[in-house]
Amino acid sequence: MKEIDIPIEASVGQSRTNPLARVFDELVRFCRSRSMFMLHYCTGCGAIELPPAMTSRFDMERLGIQPMVTPRQADILLITGYVSIKTLKRVILTYEQMGSPKYVIGICSCTVNGGMYWQSYATAKQLDQYLPVDLYIAGCMPRPEAVLEGMRKLMDRIRSDEADGWKDYYRRYDWYLGNQQHLFGDDWQTPADVIGEASHYDLAGPGTEGEHTRLLQQCQKPLEPQQTFFQIGGSLEKKGEFHE
Amino acid sequence: MSKTVTPWLDNLLQEIEGIEIRRKDSRRVRIDIAADSLPTLLELLRGRAGYVHLSAITCVDWIDESQFELVYQLWSYESQSLVSAHIRIAREPGVYVSVFDLYQPAAFFERDIHEMFGVYFEGSPDMSKFILTEWNGPPPMRKEFDSEAWVNETFEWKDYQPDWLKEITEQGGGIVKTPEETRQKNP
Repeated sequence: MKEIDIPIEASVGQSRTNPLARVFDELVRFCRSRSMFMLHYCTGCGAIELPPAMTSRFDMERLGIQPMVTPRQADILLITGYVSIKTLKRVILTYEQMGSPKYVIGICSCTVNGGMYWQSYATAKQLDQYLPVDLYIAGCMPRPEAVLEGMRKLMDRIRSDEADGWKDYYRRYDWYLGNQQHLFGDDWQTPADVIGEASHYDLAGPGTEGEHTRLLQQCQKPLEPQQTFFQIGGSLEKKGEFHE
Repeated sequence: MSKTVTPWLDNLLQEIEGIEIRRKDSRRVRIDIAADSLPTLLELLRGRAGYVHLSAITCVDWIDESQFELVYQLWSYESQSLVSAHIRIAREPGVYVSVFDLYQPAAFFERDIHEMFGVYFEGSPDMSKFILTEWNGPPPMRKEFDSEAWVNETFEWKDYQPDWLKEITEQGGGIVKTPEETRQKNP
C-alpha cells in the first residue's frame, strides 16, 4: 500500500482535561470495532463469496459484522469487484450518504488496479483514487477465509485508530474530487456538502478546498426532485429525463 | 408441425433475389441476403412461417471490408427452429432501416447497436443513449476504437513493485508473473 502523506493538525483550542478521556476513547473504539454494519455494494463477482462468509459456515456475525440495508445505518462499504464508471457514481453517492466514521473495503483485484478488466473502457481502475480505501482484500476472488482475515485486520486497525480513511476524504477532498471530475466531467456534483461536513467535524485541512472544489461551486446547480415515471403499456416514447 | 423448416418455405425463399440459404442443422438455417430485401424476408418469415420471436440483432464490424454485418436471429415456436438472417451494409455512413414495425423488441437491439457501433436505424423509435449514459467517446465496439490506448491515456496504474512487496519477495512470496510480462502483446 502506498504511504499517504497526511498533514497532522494540532488539536485546535481546547486541550483535554479529563484524565479518563483516553479510556473512553479506547472503549469507544473497541465497541466500534465489535459492531460493524456493512453495506455490500455488489458490483462484481466477488459478492459471491460473501453469502458463505456471512452465513453459518464461516459466520461473520460472531465477529459482530452484519449486513445492513441502508447506507445511512452502515459503517463499512464493501466494494466487491470491478467498478464501472457508471457504478462508481452511485458508489460515491452511497459513500457520501454514510455517517462517519465509515470505512471502505475493496475486495478483489479489480478494485486494486483494474484486474482482468484493465483494458476495458468502462471500468475505473484504482478505487482509492475516488474513495478513501481503508483495506484491500486482493484475490480473484478472495475466499471467505480471506474476507474474514481482512475484516479482522480492519477491526485491529479501528481499535488502534489507524483506519482513518474517512478523515482523509475530508482532508484531501479536493484531490478526490479532481479524480472524480476527470472521469465524470466538470459538472459532476453530489447532494452531500462535503466541505461543510469537513468543517463540522473539524477536519478541514489545506487539501479540503482547491481548484476542483471551486469548479464544483461554479457548476453547482440547485437540486431538483427526481422525476419518476411509471409506464404501463407498450409505448416507447421518451417520457422524461432522468435527473441525478 | 414437423420440427424442420418446411420445404415450401425453402421454395418460397428461393424466389427472393440475392438470397443464399445454408442449412446448418435440421433446426437451424443461415440466410445471407441483400440488405434491401431483408424487410421483405422478415415480413415473410413472420407473417407466413411463424417466426414471431426476434431473439437478437447482432452486429459485426468488418473493418477491412469496410462493412457492418447485421444478424437477425428469428425463432419459431411452431417449428422449434432458428433462422439467422445475415446482411452486410456499408460501414460509411452506416445507416439501415429499422424493423421496429415488424418486431417491437428491435427497438432495444437497434438502440444498443447504435450506441456500441454507431449504426443509425431509420424509423427506430429512440436512438438516444441506452446503457453507456456516462460515455462521451466514440462508439466503443467499433474496431478502430483502441480501448487499451484510451485506458492508458485516461487512467493511472498502481505501482506493481512497491517496497513492502520486496520484503515478501525476499522471503519467497510475491508476484510470480509480472503484469508487464502479461501485458506484452504476442508478436
